[in-house]
Amino acid sequence: MLLFTEYVIRGLFLGAMYGLLALPMSLAFVTVGTIDFAVGAYALLAAAIGATVGGTLGALLGLAGALVASLVMAAVFVLLKRAGHHDTIMIALSSFGLAVAIGSIVLASWGSTAFVRQGLDAVWTVAGIRINPQGPINLAVGLALLAGLTALLFGTGLGRMLRASAVNAQGAELAGIPVVAVQALIFAAGGLLGGIAGLLILYSSGLDFTAGLSLTLSGFAASIVFGVSNPARGFLGGLAIGVAEALSAGYGSGAMTALIPQFVVLLTLGLGMLGAGRYTGYRP
Amino acid sequence: MTSNQTTSVTRRLAICACLGLTLAWPSFAQVAPLKIGALLSMSGPAAVFGIPERDAITVALEDLNSQGGVNGRPVQVIFYDDRTDAAEAGRGVNQLVSRDQVVAIIGAGTGGNVLAAGPIAMRLKVPLLAPVGTIAATDKKNAFLPWVFRVAPSDAVNIRTILTDAAKDGNKRIGVFYQEDAYGKTGVDVAEQLAQSLGIQVVGSAPAPYTATDLTAQAIKLREANAQAIFMQVSVASLGAGFVKAARQVGLNVPIYGSSGLAQKSFVDGVGAGAEGLRVLSIGNLVYDPSPGEKKLSDLLRAAGKVPQGWGELVGTNGLVAAIAAAKSIKGEITGQSMRDAMENLCGLEAYARGKGCWTKDDHDGWREDALVFTEIANGRLRTRK
Repeated sequence: MLLFTEYVIRGLFLGAMYGLLALPMSLAFVTVGTIDFAVGAYALLAAAIGATVGGTLGALLGLAGALVASLVMAAVFVLLKRAGHHDTIMIALSSFGLAVAIGSIVLASWGSTAFVRQGLDAVWTVAGIRINPQGPINLAVGLALLAGLTALLFGTGLGRMLRASAVNAQGAELAGIPVVAVQALIFAAGGLLGGIAGLLILYSSGLDFTAGLSLTLSGFAASIVFGVSNPARGFLGGLAIGVAEALSAGYGSGAMTALIPQFVVLLTLGLGMLGAGRYTGYRP
Repeated sequence: MTSNQTTSVTRRLAICACLGLTLAWPSFAQVAPLKIGALLSMSGPAAVFGIPERDAITVALEDLNSQGGVNGRPVQVIFYDDRTDAAEAGRGVNQLVSRDQVVAIIGAGTGGNVLAAGPIAMRLKVPLLAPVGTIAATDKKNAFLPWVFRVAPSDAVNIRTILTDAAKDGNKRIGVFYQEDAYGKTGVDVAEQLAQSLGIQVVGSAPAPYTATDLTAQAIKLREANAQAIFMQVSVASLGAGFVKAARQVGLNVPIYGSSGLAQKSFVDGVGAGAEGLRVLSIGNLVYDPSPGEKKLSDLLRAAGKVPQGWGELVGTNGLVAAIAAAKSIKGEITGQSMRDAMENLCGLEAYARGKGCWTKDDHDGWREDALVFTEIANGRLRTRK
């Protein structure tokens, strides 16, 4: 039983990462109706800069880099909208292109070396389970960001504008809400959240230039597993996938572990559970 | 002296200098270069090795050409990026042979790509100098085996060397952590095949994808299997570093052996202080404790503004040196066929790396145990174990 508990706890720490990546994904899906495939690439860029510079300055510069990259995506979004392209798949494909470009830029600028920084060396022993503080830190950061994001969405004027733009863009426009500008903000938020996730991964396990798209996929799977209707479900989805992965790695065939996010995506899409209400006037 | 006179003298001097150079280097100026292809993974996941291979081949080519190339004939290397993609590797062989007329190809970038490129190389009659450890690349069942010559120690040699060392220290229960691909799976399969002959037992194995962000579950699984030593068949530095950190965190305090894929600076930097004594098998020790040949390559790289990374540079230049040595030994016309035939008779070949390459008609694995060194991490460096 102790072993089972240990796997679950490890899974929760792992899932916090997925949950963190799921936050910008579900935010973009809820408010703009599209997927920003570059979220994992923002994480990669932040980690690359953070690993190079190091310390608090490195973290801040990493976040700034991720923010700049996401502003590129926001600009692409605005340009597409202005050009009259309202098809969300086009925006998603643009973000895919940006993700590939960021991966190439990281490879060209930093080479193929891995980005890893030493986190905290301390080990806490709780009820016989040895825990590095980095895990609880990741979980706490994820929960704090989730709380902040929920407060922003449901307790502020900006949140109301975001939700109004999502539910009825034309009506929101008529009510004086700058819909495109507000939605562009979402991409910038995605850059910040992705950047934070990247920095936490940098100090947890590390990553290399190939990580971008797989991180995006993990975040996407987490954001849809319990329905994509709000960020809290996305975070919870991340925790659930993390626990499933840890239990699978511990008890099952390890080869199954990597398939879990893809399996979740296929199952959710196959069963038609991808927040279909979003398109029928469902209020997020 | 007036300005016009000065210009005139300068002109005459320049003309004399040009004539002098042309007369001094008749062979390099007039002979068409010998073309060798380099089909490497310079983008995609295997760029980790492909880029150092490319950099080393570039600087070594200049060095070898300055020593006279192939009997006075300059050598030209034409690079092609296989993008870590098997289909692209096949296209690369076609293009390098049909368009660029190369007589040998260093590559492809990964074991899988060699398997894809091999049949095409056989059809076009050009030998591949494979800088890979993948056992299947020189499997006797391959119809294209006569056209593939390995320029790195095979994974079977690497794994046997590691497990022999672990067994020698009395570690009979081995846990295997491996990356989820053909390279990783080979580690488990070969370890299980060798177990009985080495008197060891593989008590557990735990795979992980390249981009896993937490490896504590895998570490717990091997801890619960009561492994006395861990063998990591991993070439992705962040994955290896992540597992070592996870192992220490969950209390898996047993000796850890890293496969030669982990003999990289970024792995050593990544594992940090918790990895003192960790053993990593290495193809040479280019970065931290170079042999005289490796030191020469390291200096060439640094002079070109490159930072030596690890074994990629060594296996890449093994390929180049072998191709030039084969070409030098050919009396008549140098073609793909004559290069292949010459390679089967190359032995005692010394490149920048340690060990001596030797191929025969029946054995296309050129480099063996003498190319390997055991290293231990000490003070953030890979120290060669004496």
